[in-house]
Amino acid sequence: MSTYVLMKILESTASRYDRGIRLLTLGRLDRAYECLASPIKKGQKVLDIGCGTAAAKGATIKGIDVNPEMLEVARRRAEAASFGPEIEFVEMGVAELGSEPPESYDVVMSGLCFSELTTDELAYTLKEINRILKPGGLLLAADEVRPGNPLKWIIHYLIRIPLVVITYIITQTTTQAVKDLPQKVRAAGLVIKSLNPNKLEDFIELVAQKPERK
Amino acid sequence: MNLLSYIIINIVETLLRMMPLPTRTGIIKMGHPGKDSPVLLTGNYHLTITRVKRALKGMDAYLLVANSRGINVWCASAGGHFNNHGVISALKTSGIEKLVNHHNVILPQLAATGVETRAIQSKTGWKVIWGPVYARDIPEFLRNGLKKTPQMREVSFPGTARLEMAIAWAFPISLIAVLIALLFWRQSTPYLAALVWGMALLMFLAFPLYGRWLTAKGKRIGFVFFDFGRGGFQLILWGTVLVGLIIYSLAADQFSGGFILRWGFASLVVIIVLSMDLAGSTPVFHSSLSEDRLLKVYLDKTKCQGASFCEQVCPQNCYQVNQEKHTATMPRAEQCIRCGACIVQCPFDALYFKNPQGEVIPPESIRKFKLNLLGKRLVKPGD
Repeated sequence: MSTYVLMKILESTASRYDRGIRLLTLGRLDRAYECLASPIKKGQKVLDIGCGTAAAKGATIKGIDVNPEMLEVARRRAEAASFGPEIEFVEMGVAELGSEPPESYDVVMSGLCFSELTTDELAYTLKEINRILKPGGLLLAADEVRPGNPLKWIIHYLIRIPLVVITYIITQTTTQAVKDLPQKVRAAGLVIKSLNPNKLEDFIELVAQKPERK
Repeated sequence: MNLLSYIIINIVETLLRMMPLPTRTGIIKMGHPGKDSPVLLTGNYHLTITRVKRALKGMDAYLLVANSRGINVWCASAGGHFNNHGVISALKTSGIEKLVNHHNVILPQLAATGVETRAIQSKTGWKVIWGPVYARDIPEFLRNGLKKTPQMREVSFPGTARLEMAIAWAFPISLIAVLIALLFWRQSTPYLAALVWGMALLMFLAFPLYGRWLTAKGKRIGFVFFDFGRGGFQLILWGTVLVGLIIYSLAADQFSGGFILRWGFASLVVIIVLSMDLAGSTPVFHSSLSEDRLLKVYLDKTKCQGASFCEQVCPQNCYQVNQEKHTATMPRAEQCIRCGACIVQCPFDALYFKNPQGEVIPPESIRKFKLNLLGKRLVKPGD
């Protein structure tokens, strides 16, 4: 579903985002996040891109986002979930990933963020993710994608267009589902471990791994 | 692109002016650019790109398109959609660094409200040069060794721009009016659409006639005519329309109270809808819907070192910088439209806003608010 479009509406009033998104997705996004974060082990180093609201516990997390208001929400939520100093939030865009040291993360996760990036940004981000992941490290992503099946593609757009109009009226922004995400992940040198699309094939959960050193 | 398609694009996109129209981001090569060619960056609004490309015709340059969510440069930068992150992203992810052997990027001056020179330089190493307001001045700006004349820095509201805004408002509002009329008042549909177009053209084209009385002075900054609460401007317009209606109905020998009542009411609604934010639809006033219009810029002379960023980015030419004494003054302060660009850019934090209560809003709050706001319109001292 066009969760992302709804998220965009909520993002304009970041403080209401959390409760609103849970209501609108009937807990589905929470489950997707939980599911997404399940491979993360205690003590691992995690980068959460476009963190919005943080998920994994027990790991050392750095959450980045370009929207300071969203970071504030994430920070409050982390406090409420009694996260300690092992979690930090930084206002930073994907274009600044170049400043992260190579092979420094066990896990990079991204929920509903890739679809907000331009084609150049996505290619750059995936390349940088491959650089900053430790060998054997994981990329965990959940995002809106463009369905490959033409019929599903049409249904997807029929649902999406009215939502895009509503989002535009409220926030004056538009969004775009990612085209060929798995191919792009592979092109960046990562190996896809699992792909979990929804029924309409317009939302996927993806797990990819950086190959071990030979 | 030939002239015909340029004209068609301009007409269609003026009708749809209120909608964002995104284009592809990334590098566009103009002519045959080389390692030393200038790099110009702008937002990804389709009409902007069309016009900049036309202005750069015959020149060798790189045009870098950053993500401004398909919104024009000024609106996007004032609304937080065209910001530091978008510019950093375009510079770092487009591959431009491999194509040129310099690190100078020319940005449209009107982006100065939302993009901070210092942040771009510290995060990318690229130096921002503020280009002219209008794309048509780019060739002369490049020929002059990147120097702007005062005219190149100032926004204006000429006949063509007023016509553009009239069409931009008339089209969507007349569409809505037609839809409503088709449901409730079918026989009057074409007349209602004509009323919307006529009033929009009248209001915008006649702007110079009444615009001169609207100087930004005093606490209410002369918004009497625009201010919806007082409605002086709307009443004068409506009165004129009513007199016109009565004269018409008498001349056509079909005077009836019902006719005057119906069309009097319809024209009142049209006038109110069209003048909701007339001030904000002009580039020479701050939006009357936002309380930001009541803020005032102050210059702290003890901090000013005459860096002249303010002079470079002010779209109203409020500033004058004395290069020998290294001090800035604001001889045209009354022209200020509170865009905040000068405050955002001043490297010495010598500029700040004060609200009508006399509270100071420091530069760091203004940067935070101007550079990345989403849906937030008024900055308060504590933010």
